[in-house]
Amino acid sequence: MISDVFSIAFRHLWRKRLRFFLTVLGITIGVAAVIATVSLGEGIRYNAVETIKTQSDLTLITVQPKVHGDVVQLITGARIMEIRNLSSVTGAEGITRDTYATARQTFIPVTGIDSVEEGGLLNLRYSRGRPFSPETREVVAGYRLGEKLQRYEGIRQNDRFVVTIREYDASGKPLDSEIELTLVGVLQERGDSIDEILLANRGAVVAARTDAPLYDGILVRVDSPEHVAGVAAAITGMQLGATGAFEQIESVNRLMDMVVLLLALFAVISLVVGALMIMNTMMTSVYERVREIGITMAVGASRRDVIRLILAECLIIGIAGGVLGCFCGMVFAALVNTAGRSFILSRLGEEFTLLFGTEIARVTPGLLIAGLVVSVLLAVLSGLYPAVKAARLNPVEAIRSGG
Amino acid sequence: MTSDTRSIIEVESVSKRYTETVSALRDISFSVAPGEFLTIVGRSGSGKSTLLNIIGGLDHPTSGNVRISGALTDYHNHHALVRLRREMVGFVFQQFNLLPAMTAADNVAYPLLFHGRPRQERQERALELLSLVGLADRTGHYPAELSGGEQQRVAIARALAANPPIVLADEPTGNLDSKTSREIYRLLRELNTDQGITFLVVTHERDLAGYSDRSIELLDGQVVA
Repeated sequence: MISDVFSIAFRHLWRKRLRFFLTVLGITIGVAAVIATVSLGEGIRYNAVETIKTQSDLTLITVQPKVHGDVVQLITGARIMEIRNLSSVTGAEGITRDTYATARQTFIPVTGIDSVEEGGLLNLRYSRGRPFSPETREVVAGYRLGEKLQRYEGIRQNDRFVVTIREYDASGKPLDSEIELTLVGVLQERGDSIDEILLANRGAVVAARTDAPLYDGILVRVDSPEHVAGVAAAITGMQLGATGAFEQIESVNRLMDMVVLLLALFAVISLVVGALMIMNTMMTSVYERVREIGITMAVGASRRDVIRLILAECLIIGIAGGVLGCFCGMVFAALVNTAGRSFILSRLGEEFTLLFGTEIARVTPGLLIAGLVVSVLLAVLSGLYPAVKAARLNPVEAIRSGG
Repeated sequence: MTSDTRSIIEVESVSKRYTETVSALRDISFSVAPGEFLTIVGRSGSGKSTLLNIIGGLDHPTSGNVRISGALTDYHNHHALVRLRREMVGFVFQQFNLLPAMTAADNVAYPLLFHGRPRQERQERALELLSLVGLADRTGHYPAELSGGEQQRVAIARALAANPPIVLADEPTGNLDSKTSREIYRLLRELNTDQGITFLVVTHERDLAGYSDRSIELLDGQVVA
């Protein structure tokens, strides 16, 4: 029965082939436009996110105390345990931060941490030297800081150097103290904030000050980039602050959501025009076939049968338009990724090669399915009014009419 | 009026008014026995077609009742009217009214689509009926490739597709020459006697009424004979 309805519907459409093709073309252009714009937006999003992923340590979250009104949620050993027990967290270490000044008044950000083993929580790689030994005043420099110390301070590996720690007494007078550190290692370049800091034993950093807190931050390692957002949300739920490279990805995603939405909005206009074309075609088709519809009713078709026959035609238009639209969208994406890519790169310069990886436009199966579904839904929706109008025809008048 | 259980069609005081002053039918009553061949004659505009459409459930009366096989037709119930058109009656029109995009066989099989019958069965039934009306060699032809008389034979076959007990024919020979007209009437009469189908045929040609068992005449929406 269903296949018969479709074969009759197709025969009707085939009678007015040119009109059928033009209508299908209308919806095809709409679907292709949506797929082209969304795939372009998604491709740029994908490339941007991939660039962030390769350039930064995505699975590292830095937790900080957060002020809620007058209350500061402090970092305690219990908090660290709590975070360690979150699912997807592979490690969490408390840190203490400070700033030391060198003899030449270069200020050095210092992070006190329990371990700086090769690999480890921070996934450290040494360009030279070794990790500091526990319970010592040995330190390890980030890549850029290591360069800076060597160039401006003349501090090389295994050199001892003196830094000043400034504290203030009750009256606000500065009280400086000095400690001697030994630089035992320099890290490889990472592209994040660790390049700029000095890593020291946490116990030593805490001991160097009279009023230092045990912890003022936690470094958290998550097992995979996909779980980072969830862990960050869990940490935020503990009233603590969570920052990291994942935020960049979130902001890229937010930006691209807007861009894709705006682009798609324009494409949707052509889809709406396509839908109006279907409505127009079906109105004309019903008008031309008034007599046939009357005869169909006389031989025993119910209103529902008539609606079904007309909607079957719309469904065929929708499927044809959707499939062709998906195909055209894919062709467009392929063109952008081959000819378009080299053109864009020649205009932008080689430094964008990384941003526009292998493909600029990204057509995903989900996008194609969405295109097809939207096309079919729009087609059926546009046919609803003509179909109901046909079903409401008075059979006697319909048969008598000249159509 | 008492209902006669032996009648297949009972028309009781049926009137059809378009406005207060314009009436198509005025208080029409008659009944048709099963297997009867009844012609309704009258000039054009006498309301014959309207009466036929009311009996077949395509139109509705302003007042009065129609019973088909004893069942009162409920003109407010869409599904009841659909069932009536599907199962009880077959229509034959003056204009043939075949669907131009379909072959003769597909036209004949078309009503069975709405019965939900499988394609195989519909096709077999169509071929059987087309050979019954003498068009076994025209099954694959489109209406435009057939003569008027052949088209009307296809339309008659279509009216019989669902095996209805009643066929309603509205000026079935109005568009045909007199020789073809007589052939069509002979065919209708044959189907009537061989298959026991009740025929209600509207015509303005009195001489063709001679083929019928009985004839009633309408004048200005009223039965005069």
